[in-house]
Amino acid sequence: MVSRIYVEKKPGFDVEAKQLENELRMILGIEGLEKLRLLNRYDVEGIDDELFDRCIPTVFSEPQSDVTYNELPEADGAKVFAVEPLPGQFDQRSDSASECIQLISQGERPDVKNAKVYYLCGNLSDEDVEAVKNYVINPVESREASLDTVSTLKTSYPEPKPVEILDGFNEMSADELQQFIDQRGLAMDLADIEFCQQYFTGEKRNPTITEIKMIDTYWSDHCRHTTFGTQLTDIQIDDAVVQQAFDEYMQIRHELGRDEKPVCLMDMGTIGAKYLKSKGILKNQDESEEINACTVKIKCDVDGEQQDWLFLFKNETHNHPTEIEPFGGAATCIGGAIRDPLSGRSYVYQAMRVTGAANPLAPVSETIPGKLPQRKLVTTAAAGYSSYGNQIGLATGQVDELYHPGYAAKRMEIGAVVAATPADHVRRETPAPGDVIILLGGRTGRDGIGGATGSSKAHNMESLEECGAEVQKGNAPVERKLQRLFRRKDACRLIKRCNDFGAGGVSVAIGELADGLSINLNKVPKKYDGLDGTELAISESQERMACAVAAADVDEFIGYAHEENLEATPVATVTDDERVRIFWNGDAIVDVSREFLASNGAPKQMKVHIEAAEPYAPSWDGNTFKERMFSLETDLNTCCKRGLVDRFDSTIGAATVLMPFGGKYQMTPSMAMAAKLPVDGETTTVSGMAWGFNPYIMEKNQFTGAYLSVVESVAKMVAAGFEHRNLYLTFQEYFEKLRDEPERWGKPAGAVLGALMAQVNLGVGAIGGKDSMSGSFENLDVPPTLVSFATGVGSLDRITSPEFKKAGSKVLCIHPFYGNDRLTPETKGLLDVFDLVEDLIASGKALSVSTPGYGCAADALFKMTLGNRIGLKINDDVDVDTFFTPAYGTMLVELAADAEVPASTDDLTVTFLGTTVESYTFSAAGETIDLAELEEAWEEKLEPVFPYRAKGEKVEAISYDKKLPLVYDGTIAKQRVIIPVFPGNK
Amino acid sequence: MINNLSPEAVAQSTQKLVEYIDNSQIIMIPGGFSGGDEPDGSAKFITAFFRAPAVTEAVRRLLNERDGLILGICNGFQALVKLGLVPFGDIKPMDANCPTLTFNTIGRHQSRIVRTRVASTLSPWFNHCNVGDIHTMPISHGEGRFVAPQKVLDELVANGQIATQYVGIDGMPSMDMDVNPNGSLLSIEGITSPDGRVLGKMGHTERSANGLYQNIPDLSYQPLIEGGVSYFTD
Repeated sequence: MVSRIYVEKKPGFDVEAKQLENELRMILGIEGLEKLRLLNRYDVEGIDDELFDRCIPTVFSEPQSDVTYNELPEADGAKVFAVEPLPGQFDQRSDSASECIQLISQGERPDVKNAKVYYLCGNLSDEDVEAVKNYVINPVESREASLDTVSTLKTSYPEPKPVEILDGFNEMSADELQQFIDQRGLAMDLADIEFCQQYFTGEKRNPTITEIKMIDTYWSDHCRHTTFGTQLTDIQIDDAVVQQAFDEYMQIRHELGRDEKPVCLMDMGTIGAKYLKSKGILKNQDESEEINACTVKIKCDVDGEQQDWLFLFKNETHNHPTEIEPFGGAATCIGGAIRDPLSGRSYVYQAMRVTGAANPLAPVSETIPGKLPQRKLVTTAAAGYSSYGNQIGLATGQVDELYHPGYAAKRMEIGAVVAATPADHVRRETPAPGDVIILLGGRTGRDGIGGATGSSKAHNMESLEECGAEVQKGNAPVERKLQRLFRRKDACRLIKRCNDFGAGGVSVAIGELADGLSINLNKVPKKYDGLDGTELAISESQERMACAVAAADVDEFIGYAHEENLEATPVATVTDDERVRIFWNGDAIVDVSREFLASNGAPKQMKVHIEAAEPYAPSWDGNTFKERMFSLETDLNTCCKRGLVDRFDSTIGAATVLMPFGGKYQMTPSMAMAAKLPVDGETTTVSGMAWGFNPYIMEKNQFTGAYLSVVESVAKMVAAGFEHRNLYLTFQEYFEKLRDEPERWGKPAGAVLGALMAQVNLGVGAIGGKDSMSGSFENLDVPPTLVSFATGVGSLDRITSPEFKKAGSKVLCIHPFYGNDRLTPETKGLLDVFDLVEDLIASGKALSVSTPGYGCAADALFKMTLGNRIGLKINDDVDVDTFFTPAYGTMLVELAADAEVPASTDDLTVTFLGTTVESYTFSAAGETIDLAELEEAWEEKLEPVFPYRAKGEKVEAISYDKKLPLVYDGTIAKQRVIIPVFPGNK
Repeated sequence: MINNLSPEAVAQSTQKLVEYIDNSQIIMIPGGFSGGDEPDGSAKFITAFFRAPAVTEAVRRLLNERDGLILGICNGFQALVKLGLVPFGDIKPMDANCPTLTFNTIGRHQSRIVRTRVASTLSPWFNHCNVGDIHTMPISHGEGRFVAPQKVLDELVANGQIATQYVGIDGMPSMDMDVNPNGSLLSIEGITSPDGRVLGKMGHTERSANGLYQNIPDLSYQPLIEGGVSYFTD
């Protein structure tokens, strides 16, 4: 029997309905809409009426804020429809309802299904109703539901058919193989599938479909960086600077004895760190066979003792999933970024989010057909990422969004995280024959099939319709449990090697753990029946880990997992031959050699043409200084993003050293995120991370743009109080689909070379990176993107923020000389600037420090005034034109009153720019700008999309001191506090 | 650690929690997103657990027989309100006139540093504070708007059960979102039971440590936990 209840928020509590009503009117332009009602419908099967009635005022509703109905309320002329999640999608609302009912009944968990019922009141046409449905139903995750009652929630699952053996595969012609790729929707190319054919001919049998799908996943760009591994031949370079860099790259290869290795993007991307290591500049990298996250060895202060710790970091994009389903895509972006360092047995404690979009203020009518409106993308993705991060209890230290028309092709959604753990928690060993692979965490379902290959495919008009199965929903409470387990030394010490299920499911996550494996799919816990062997082998799921442990440790490990409320199941064993075998219903549905799998498919080659760069010289309209400042601060890329940032929990964990916005008014954006390390006790060791990237430079000049991404990220870290010698880099590349066009390949090649030269010149190496080459939609491409993340650890007492602290301080501009392009700082001068500023910070002479980015010095100075509403008077001899010129690597410093102005040298210039003033004004070039007015323009620009202000009346202050507090009159030997930890509590 | 892998595990967790409560003087319910704040409303997971008769009785023994204290912060405050422990001092069924904590007026999560002012020192948790003291602390929540009928609000004011209010830089409570991030009536941040031994508040007093929030000037720590502990020791 299925019981049903409808729940509606009372007036005043109906925030969600009112917001949607407003969106439908304002954004969608449904003017006839008078009122929108939103009801939650719950269907429950498997509990009696008495229990169901008890759950109505406790689980399904709250009498204070909700009204409930047993029957669907009268329509009264309203148009009524219902929406439910697609079958098989994780639905947190239903799942939590089911868990709550179990807590009350202390029995089995019942089936719960949730749907939302919409009442559209007013004079609406059928087209209006259709438009609303299109707006609220994203077909990749939800569908219209019936309004009728149902007799059961159970789905009957047909017995899965045996896995198909591809008869005739080995005899297929090239044409037939190409057809096969298209029909089966594979991501591999003809050369790869011919390579498979050769292999299976050698094995003297035809492959199963599971084998082909597994290989397709293994060799996908997402898992294996096919693009980055492609050998670059015949490299034509039209730009003298890039040519010189390429020659230097070839020289470095020679010095390192790598002349014989293929020239490829991967080599260009990773050789910088190898070179710096050979010179003794890059130190402390922790290298192992395990593929988790970038890891460095550090000393961490714990209660005054210097302990050996590991510091890990990782960046990740989820561009494709976020573009088609922004909430789930962005949620799983951060979920995935967390899982890499987590699989390295470390505790992830702070995150950063950098995203790219087209103008979110554009009218919905300008949306490209087949796409979601930018406004919906930016708001829903922010909701998804923050929902996951907030639930899992991860502090988000910095959030920013870049706007460039090219991101209409595909959104950019990057998450980057830092993590740490005591070094002695981690044991790294090659699994030995007889070891057992334990699957930990969530169950396997049909969602999440094809995520890896899907994100590597180009995107076209049909994507929204067809990719349903590629969208996954994150389950943050389960990942929270994984985090708790992996913080335990007793559990971590049992793990020899660990891998997460980010891409490719059982076949890849377990398949990568050891050379020889025997996997039994019948042991894999399932969400529901009916999954066939192929689905079980390749379905990704978000919150799962595979751990290799010794056979003798299995029970102990599973015991610890149960203590943390997690499922743990042995599903595979390590074997002594170098083959991966996967069994299902007694049959070996996969049986391939490690050598073949590890080949990464047929070698690829490509010609590259790096074209001459175009100049970059930004300008902001206006004749007067004031006009230029107003243009600058109402630019989407500089304007206030408080309404976006405030929804991310920035303080969970009680370790946040820099709030996203500083000053008494919490308005000056910080240069970097910074947090104390997650020690048990007190620490002065702090980690930080900062990003650098300007899409408008990179679209003109990929080489210099990428170079400046690195400079900007390092400069921000220096401004925040970290030392450039202790930093590491990790890159996120995001480019258009490269196709077979040498000019398109030239873009990432130029960028990677630029980033390489920056590493070599600055002495800071990149030890990690991720790439995505899928940023195209029909004829539209994303701007060439290389975001540099600089990270490292430093000391609590050095942390510095950019908001002006006092009136009457001298403000200095400390800058290197710039090359002929007026963009690239000279190396020696840049390093001298860093050294000087690091000294000023260490000696306490720098009260606040900032460094210019996209908005140049003008923007940086303006933002320094905001936090404490301290104004700035620029000296008469300063040319304000320089405030609107790119100045990457320049430092703006508020100097303590008693400190001397440092002297200029042959390589750097120290300019006394002006003085901070009490009045909230910005004076320069003979003009005085009212900063309150400029701040208002800056604040209101994006408020229509990301609101964060609302005026309200004063309330009376309550003062009650009539009664004395109670006094405890017992005595106790020892105080005890009980802190119950519920799933999802921190 | 509450375990719900199976019905037996749930029953065991209930039994364990009862034992632990019976051996404690303080129950502290921390922040978080129990059950992901679903279905559509916060803390339902916690309240479902505490409404188990054995747990309810253990809580009553702690409060009524052993003069214990309870503190709920953020998600914990939501749980206390929805159980009735604040403002009523007991676990009771909810009706339409009970106060509640609901979605912020802005309709999304809010995270920042706020200022709060102590309005009443009725609660032992404020043993180390004076009325009028202003403290800074982070808030981070999606459902922190305190709502109650006017009559209930009047009673809470009269009984000294309004513990703290959000205030601006000028020290005054306000309905302005910059001051009062969730739109709570009377700018209420925390309330207590009639005798003050149960306190619920949204602000994260506990997210405090040496060297945090360096870009926020004039931080002022709220010695709340110290107050609660001193109730037993002084």
